[in-house]
Amino acid sequence: MGQPTTHRPVWRLGRVIPCLLVVVFLADLVSRVPSIDPLTFRAWEAMSRNRPPGAAFEPNRRYVNARAYGDLASFGNLPAMRQYRPEVFTTDALGFRNPPHVLGGEVSAILIGDSFAVGSGVSDDETLSSRLTKITGCVVYNAGSDLGRVVPKEVLALARRLHLRNHLVMRLYAEDAAVPPMPTRRERLLWDLEARMPARLRALIGRLRGLAAVGPLQVLSGRAVKALEDDRILPNRYAGYVVRATLDNGDPMLFQASEVNNFYRRREVRLDYWQWLRDTLRPAGFDLLVVLVPSKYTVYRPFLVDQRPGPGAGADYLDRLEQDLRAAGIPVLNLTPLISAEAARDLRHDRYLYWLDDIHWNARGIALAAGAIRERWPLADAPCSTTLSRAVEKP
Amino acid sequence: MLFNSLGFLYGFLPATYLAFWRVTGKAQRWMVLAIGGYVFYSFWNYKFCALMLFSTGVSYLAGLALLRWQSPRLRRWCVVVPVCADLAVLGFFKYGNFMAGNINAVTSWLGGRSSLPILDIVLPVGISFYTFHTITYVIDAYRGVITPTRNFFKYAAYVSMFPQLVAGPIVRYRQIEQDFENVDRAHETANADTGWSFFVVGLVEKVLIADTIASIIDPALARYSQLSTVDAWLVVLGFAYQVYFDFAGYSDMAVGLGHLFGFRIPQNFNSPYKSADIADMWRRWHISLSSFFRDYLYIPLGGSRGGRLLTYRNLMFTMVLCGLWHGASWIYVVFGAYQGLLLILNSMVKGTWERLPLAARRIGTFGLWVVGLAIFRSTGFPMAGAMLQRMFTWHAGTTGIVGGTVLIGMLTVAAGLAHFAPNSFEMHHRWSPGWVGAMAVLFGLGLFMLYGSRPAPYLYFQF
Repeated sequence: MGQPTTHRPVWRLGRVIPCLLVVVFLADLVSRVPSIDPLTFRAWEAMSRNRPPGAAFEPNRRYVNARAYGDLASFGNLPAMRQYRPEVFTTDALGFRNPPHVLGGEVSAILIGDSFAVGSGVSDDETLSSRLTKITGCVVYNAGSDLGRVVPKEVLALARRLHLRNHLVMRLYAEDAAVPPMPTRRERLLWDLEARMPARLRALIGRLRGLAAVGPLQVLSGRAVKALEDDRILPNRYAGYVVRATLDNGDPMLFQASEVNNFYRRREVRLDYWQWLRDTLRPAGFDLLVVLVPSKYTVYRPFLVDQRPGPGAGADYLDRLEQDLRAAGIPVLNLTPLISAEAARDLRHDRYLYWLDDIHWNARGIALAAGAIRERWPLADAPCSTTLSRAVEKP
Repeated sequence: MLFNSLGFLYGFLPATYLAFWRVTGKAQRWMVLAIGGYVFYSFWNYKFCALMLFSTGVSYLAGLALLRWQSPRLRRWCVVVPVCADLAVLGFFKYGNFMAGNINAVTSWLGGRSSLPILDIVLPVGISFYTFHTITYVIDAYRGVITPTRNFFKYAAYVSMFPQLVAGPIVRYRQIEQDFENVDRAHETANADTGWSFFVVGLVEKVLIADTIASIIDPALARYSQLSTVDAWLVVLGFAYQVYFDFAGYSDMAVGLGHLFGFRIPQNFNSPYKSADIADMWRRWHISLSSFFRDYLYIPLGGSRGGRLLTYRNLMFTMVLCGLWHGASWIYVVFGAYQGLLLILNSMVKGTWERLPLAARRIGTFGLWVVGLAIFRSTGFPMAGAMLQRMFTWHAGTTGIVGGTVLIGMLTVAAGLAHFAPNSFEMHHRWSPGWVGAMAVLFGLGLFMLYGSRPAPYLYFQF
C-alpha cells in the first residue's frame, strides 16, 4: 500500500467524511435530549418514549397537542385523511393515564387493557375510565397500557398501592388484540426484577431507552421520505398498512390491514389466559369483568360500498369468546351488538363511534360503552364503600 | 448488518477501525479482522457463525495437509474432501428443498410416490460467497498457485473479512495475500481518501440511485399483468439499472472499506453496460463470479480447446450452473441457459457482429441483457412469460407507473452514468475541494435517507 504524502490538504474525503459522520452522530445524540413532543402527531409516542421498565407511560407528564391526528393516517402516510383534534394526555406518579390526584383518593375499580382502555386518540376527560367515573360517581382507575401484558400479579401490586374500596377489575379486550400468552418463567423473573428496581433507576433506564429508541433526525428524515412518497412523486410504500374504504354516505374510512385480515380468518378462542387471570385475582378477593370491544371493521363493514364478498371467518370471534367466557363463569359484556346498532343510526347523521383516521373509538364510542357498562354493572347502585361482587352478578 | 445502515456506520465500522489500527502486529491485525468478521456476521444470525467456522476449519486443514503431503493421491483427497464438504453444506442449505421438491414432482409425474420432506431451512446469508472463497483457496493450493498459510487467524481473517463476506466480491487468496502479509506495514491514512471515495460513490449508487429506482419499479412489478408495453420496458430498464447500481454500489463500498484497512479488493464491475458483445459483458459483470466459473468450471471442462460443439456444451453447462448459483429456482436456470445461448450465438456470429458500428453493438448487447433481466427478475414462469409478452407485443397505454416521471429522470441519470461515465476504478479519487464538498453533500443526503427509512438489503444478499 502507498505511503502517506507529507502535504495533505484539509479538504480531502479521508478527513471530511469521518468528520461529517462524527458531526451528524453528535447532532443526533444532542437532539435526542430535549423533548420530542413538538415532532409527535399524537400523545402515545411522546408519552411512551421515556417509559420506565414495567410502567405504562412516563410518570407525571402532561402532553398537549392542539392538532393531533389518527394513527392510521400516519401509518398509511395519508395526510389528506387526517382528522385533526386536540389531545390532552396526563399521567399520574405510577405512569398510568389518570389525573394525579386520583392516587390520593379512593378508587372503586381498576380498568385494565390496551390502547382502547388507555383512550388513545381522545383527551383525558373522554377516556372510558373518566366517563365511568363521571356517570357512576365512583372513581375508576385507568391502568391501561400498551405493554401487551395484563398479568394478575401486576394488577394486585397496583391494587396494593391504591386506596381500593371495591375489589373490582375490569378487563377491556379489543377484538384485534392478541390474547396475551401466559408469561414464561423468564418473563416473570424479569418483571419481578423490574418491580424491585428503585424508582430512580427505573426512571434512568426509561430515559436511556427513550434516548436510544428514537431521535428527531429519524423523525424528520422519515417525514421527508414520506412527503416524497405521496403516490405522485414516488409510490407510497406505507399504503399497504391500511385499507381505505368508502362508506354508504360517501365518507372515506381507514382500517388497519391486519384488522381486515383478522375478520376473514378463523381465530381460535382460548380461555386459558382468562381463567388464569380470574383464578389468580379471585383469592385476593377481586372480581373480574370482561368487556369485549369490536374492531372498527366489524362495526363498519356492513356499511362499506366495496366490501369484500362473503362472510368473514373471524366475524363471530367475539360472540364465541363471549359464550365461552360466560360458560366458564366469567362475567362478560360484549359491546358488539350495541355499538353496531348505534353506528348504523349515527351513520345516517354522518356521525361516527370510531375515528375515521384511527384504529380507536372516539369520545362518542367511549361514552356509549361507558353507558352500557354502567347499565350492566351499575357501580353507582351500590355504595362505593361496599364490594361490588353482588352487583356484578346482577343479570 | 448492512453497510448502508446507521449501526454499521456509527458502531461496527468505527469500533473495528479503531481496534485494527490500535494494534500493530500482523497476527493481532489478522485476529482483529477475523473476530470483526464473525461479529459482523453474527448480526444476521450468530448460529451460522459455526457453519462458517466449519467451512474455514476444513479448508484450513486441507491447506496444511497440502503443505505436508506430496503424494498425488493424498493431495487429491485434500481437495475432494473440503470441496465436497463445502458443496454439501451449500447444497443442503441452498438447494435441498429445491431438489426434494423436484424429485417429489418428477416421481409423482412418473406415477411413483416420493415424499421427501420440505424442510424449514433458513439460507445463511453469504454462504455462496464464503464457500467460494474456501473452494478457490483449496484448489489454488492444490494447483500450487498459492502457498497455504499456517496461521489460522490469517486464513480466518481472509474468509471472514467483513467487506467481502456476505455479498462478495469473491476475492481469491492470491489476489489479497500480499496485503495480508504486509498488513503490519499498512499506514492508516495512506488510503483513507481513496477508501472513503469508493465508499461514498458506492453509497450514492446504492441509496440514492438503486433504492430510488426500486421504490418505483417494485410496486409496478407487483401488478405486472396490467403494464402497458411502454411501462414494461421502463420497469425492466429500471431493474437493469437498479441491479447494476445496487451491486456495483455494494462492491464499491466493499473496495472502499478494504482500502480503509489496507486491502486492495479487486474490481468487480468494469462498466458492463459499455460492453460490445455478450462475452464482453460477462468479462465486465460481476467479474469475481464470472472468472470463478471460468477458471474453476469452464476451463477444467475443456474450455474452448475441444472443438466447437464441446465449447458450446461447456459454455451452456457453465452458464446454467452460473444461473443456478443465483438461486434455487428454475427461472434462474432459464436465465443461465439464455445467457449460455447468447454466448454460443456470439461465438457463431462473432465476425459479422464485429463489423457493426460500436454503438450498435453496445445497444444490441444491452438490449439482449435487459431481456434476460426480465426473466431474472420474475418470480416464476407466468410472470416471465407475461413480462416478455408485454414487452414484445403492443399493449396500449401511457405510463401508469406511480412515480413515472421520477423513474424517467432516474433512468436518464443512471443511463448517463452507466453507459458514458467512468467507473469507480477509472476515477483518480483525488478530488478538488469543490468535488469533496459535492461528495460530502451527497453522502450527507444518503445518510439523512438512512435515518428516515429502514436500510434496503442488497439484491445479491439473497444469492
